Amino acid sequence: MPNVPAIEFRQVEKIYPGSSAAAVTDLSLEVAEGETVALIGPSGCGKTTLLKMVNRLIEPTAGMIRVFGNDVRSSNPVELRRGIGYVIQQVGLLPHRTVAQNIGTVPELLGWDDRRVWARVDELFDLIQLDPELRDRYPSDLSGGQRQRVGVARALAADPPIMLMDEPFGAVDPIVRKALQQQFLEVQKRLGKTTVLVTHDIDEAITLADRVAILNLGGILEQFDPPMAILRDPANAFVMSFLGHDRGLKRLSLLPISSVKLVKGPAVSRSASIEEAREMMERWGVDWIALADGDVLHGWVPGEELDGASDLASLALRRFESWLTSDASLLDALDVVVSSRTSAAAVFDGDRYLGMLSAETIGREIVT
Amino acid sequence: MIQFLGDVLGYLLDPSNWTGARGLFSRIWEHTSISGLGVILAGLLSLPPAVLLAHRRRGEFLAVSAVNLGRALPSFGVVGVMFPITLSIAALTSPLGYWATLIALVLLAMPPMFVNAFTAVRDVDDSLIEAARGMGMSESRVLLGVEIPLGLPLIMAGVRTAAVGVVATATLGAVVGYGGLGRYIIDGFAQGNDVLIFVGGLLVALLALATEVGFGWLEKKVDPLRSRRIRPPRIPTLRDTGIRTHP
Repeated sequence: MPNVPAIEFRQVEKIYPGSSAAAVTDLSLEVAEGETVALIGPSGCGKTTLLKMVNRLIEPTAGMIRVFGNDVRSSNPVELRRGIGYVIQQVGLLPHRTVAQNIGTVPELLGWDDRRVWARVDELFDLIQLDPELRDRYPSDLSGGQRQRVGVARALAADPPIMLMDEPFGAVDPIVRKALQQQFLEVQKRLGKTTVLVTHDIDEAITLADRVAILNLGGILEQFDPPMAILRDPANAFVMSFLGHDRGLKRLSLLPISSVKLVKGPAVSRSASIEEAREMMERWGVDWIALADGDVLHGWVPGEELDGASDLASLALRRFESWLTSDASLLDALDVVVSSRTSAAAVFDGDRYLGMLSAETIGREIVT
Repeated sequence: MIQFLGDVLGYLLDPSNWTGARGLFSRIWEHTSISGLGVILAGLLSLPPAVLLAHRRRGEFLAVSAVNLGRALPSFGVVGVMFPITLSIAALTSPLGYWATLIALVLLAMPPMFVNAFTAVRDVDDSLIEAARGMGMSESRVLLGVEIPLGLPLIMAGVRTAAVGVVATATLGAVVGYGGLGRYIIDGFAQGNDVLIFVGGLLVALLALATEVGFGWLEKKVDPLRSRRIRPPRIPTLRDTGIRTHP
């Protein structure tokens, strides 16, 4: 069946017993196969409730949730959960079981024979780049970051098509979190699991998700779009305030340098005359000139050194200290450009010189 | 004083005091067997409901009541109340005082066992339970594979407390005509024989102490987290088998 969404929420509502306010209100949302969707919003927005309704840890008051077209209520919750990877912030590794045993939990529940379980555990150690020495250790021997990775490996153990992750990187320090996010992206590139990720960190949502669902108090879906679209066109004031004042900068972090047009100047050929060089400097309003021929960048010289020089070839060229590769983000580029003396950075694709990225070019992207 | 202790030692060293239906061996057996049975019955009656209620996060009120009941229940009173009741039921009249004592011991042992088992299971970290459920463990698997193993030290602590109390209280069986080591104390008072009183008291104390130490050892033995300090046998890895699979 083509085009059946991996997960579909249809007019889902949740009112907890004893509460008059809804935790989730008439929410409809589809997650396509292989897609990573982030659920984000302030606390009390029902994002975790929504996640837990997929594997029936919480049952909706009204509405329907389908996984690959099947109403989750038609499956036995225990069976359903064995087919869905589940990661939580506290990880919840069983302290009396070794790391390997923890990772092998679901395959074991599914009745795999020992050899197959341990073979799978080995693969996962490989996948998440965990030291095999740790396999017979206990969770208490692990660092926070290692625990989180074991938690992810455990969820992936039976190769479920769907992963539910509830603030999976919330309990570790920012440096470890960055590394874990990077690893998540790499693993995701290889496995392409349909993933629903709950987070309260908008940067995490933007970095990891193909689409971001922004929820308001009471589980009201305010916007559900790819990160770029949300940053460019926030649906309303709530989304705008949730994204924060640095929405423009966040957008830059998603745009690669290759998405903007690079400029050729201020640069002249090495065989050009001193006059041509001065003219180019004046045109660009800078006090330096780059020498480039085709995709080779020779270097640059400060304007005052042109005085009294006979030709450009005789000048000592300076190397560009500020240079970037074309796959870097505009946010990285901004940092380099702003801190460079030349207010521009040379962009390379491998050894090939592509052109100059100026502060104005980046500035234009912030505004739009 | 020295004279007295010498008499006690003399009593204990006389083999004829140890054998026979009224000998020390027989009394110790009466004492330990009724204690053991009392603890086992109390365990059967209190542990399953305790862990099940705690697993369902219900019965908080019952647990609190059990604590209070355990504190308030006078063992002596229970034996006294049970004695005439058991005598009125034909099947329970023999041996004399046996059933009254056993029932009192069971009632005495149940509250600490219930409370500890309940607390042990209830206090297992919620995130562990959620992860276990989320992975697709059945409710019985969550209870047997997560909650009970992790709660076992605390459950055993309850059994230990109960057992020590039972061993000490079984002494009261003698008051209603049952044997056990209490016999020496009752008889000693009746005969004005301090040596007998001392021998009875000493043996009860030693038995209670042995129970405490024995269960204390068991408690450590069953701690699932204790194995962290002992390297478990290495699980054969894929590398060991030389097989290569593809992810």
